[in-house]
Amino acid sequence: MSGTGFEHLKALIVEDNAHMRSLLRALLNSVGIKDVAEAAHGAAALEILRERRSDLVLSDMAMAPMDGLEFTRQVRNSETSANPFVPIIMITGHTERHRVEAARDAGVTEFLAKPITAGNLFSRIALIVERPRAFVRCESYFGPDRRRRQIDSYAGPWRRAGDFKDDDSKDREIR
Amino acid sequence: MSNSAPKTAQMISPDAYPQMMGRQDGMRAMAALRSGQTMAQAQVAMEEAAAPMKAAILQYVDEMEAAGADMRTVFDKVHEIRGFAATAGLVTTGRIAEILCRYMDEVERMGKTPDGNLVALHVSAIARAARTQEDDIQLGEQVAAELTALARKLAR
Repeated sequence: MSGTGFEHLKALIVEDNAHMRSLLRALLNSVGIKDVAEAAHGAAALEILRERRSDLVLSDMAMAPMDGLEFTRQVRNSETSANPFVPIIMITGHTERHRVEAARDAGVTEFLAKPITAGNLFSRIALIVERPRAFVRCESYFGPDRRRRQIDSYAGPWRRAGDFKDDDSKDREIR
Repeated sequence: MSNSAPKTAQMISPDAYPQMMGRQDGMRAMAALRSGQTMAQAQVAMEEAAAPMKAAILQYVDEMEAAGADMRTVFDKVHEIRGFAATAGLVTTGRIAEILCRYMDEVERMGKTPDGNLVALHVSAIARAARTQEDDIQLGEQVAAELTALARKLAR
């Protein structure tokens, strides 16, 4: 059997900077992903997702008129979303903790800080291939399980106070 | 999807939703991601991106300088510069942009207004570093250390 395993994948790059789009496309090409669509902001990306299958999304965070956070929320939560489970790697220069947490809570699969390197991007793709994340659906969130650490003694899927909205189990211990 | 979310949290395991690729493809994909040939091709792509990235940074620098006291624009542009500088080989530019990003983020988080003189000092240092043909890392580190100390003092 030949090929890289990536040759049948369709990727989508959502990034407002043409140079970065070009670099990301070249990096995806280098692993064998040749079918790559591009969008300059979240709204255009949603249009593409409706019309074309995408197996992997690389998205910037700061874009207009729709940024990467809103785009991710729409992908995960919209009734018309073509694939709410699609892996989304958020690539951004905004690396402050509260922004990383906002990306996580929007439902991104992996987070990658700019400046990017080939190794960093490939390691995020490898995580998606090798260790796919479980998804969690609750009233306040739908997306990849935000728990990175597995605690053997903890049986529940709940993690955050928001997960208990309108749920009488809110007094349960949150780890 | 989440509109029909249950009252209690539901866990959906990876084998219960469509994966990016099957197991066979996954094994080949992992081999490809770890191969020297892939990394060599990727390195060529990174090197080819450096020149246009540098041009983009100089454009952002012009826009950042033109923004003057428009702190929102300075904030946006300096984050772009921070994101691209290292890829373009502009280490010092990226280092100083990083300090300004952290300062502006911290000030915003605290609900304060950025100090105009400090921002102007950083903008000037970033512009000088970006437009300099040779990236003097040692001098850049010295400038970065001094600006970091100043930013910390003013962020308090």
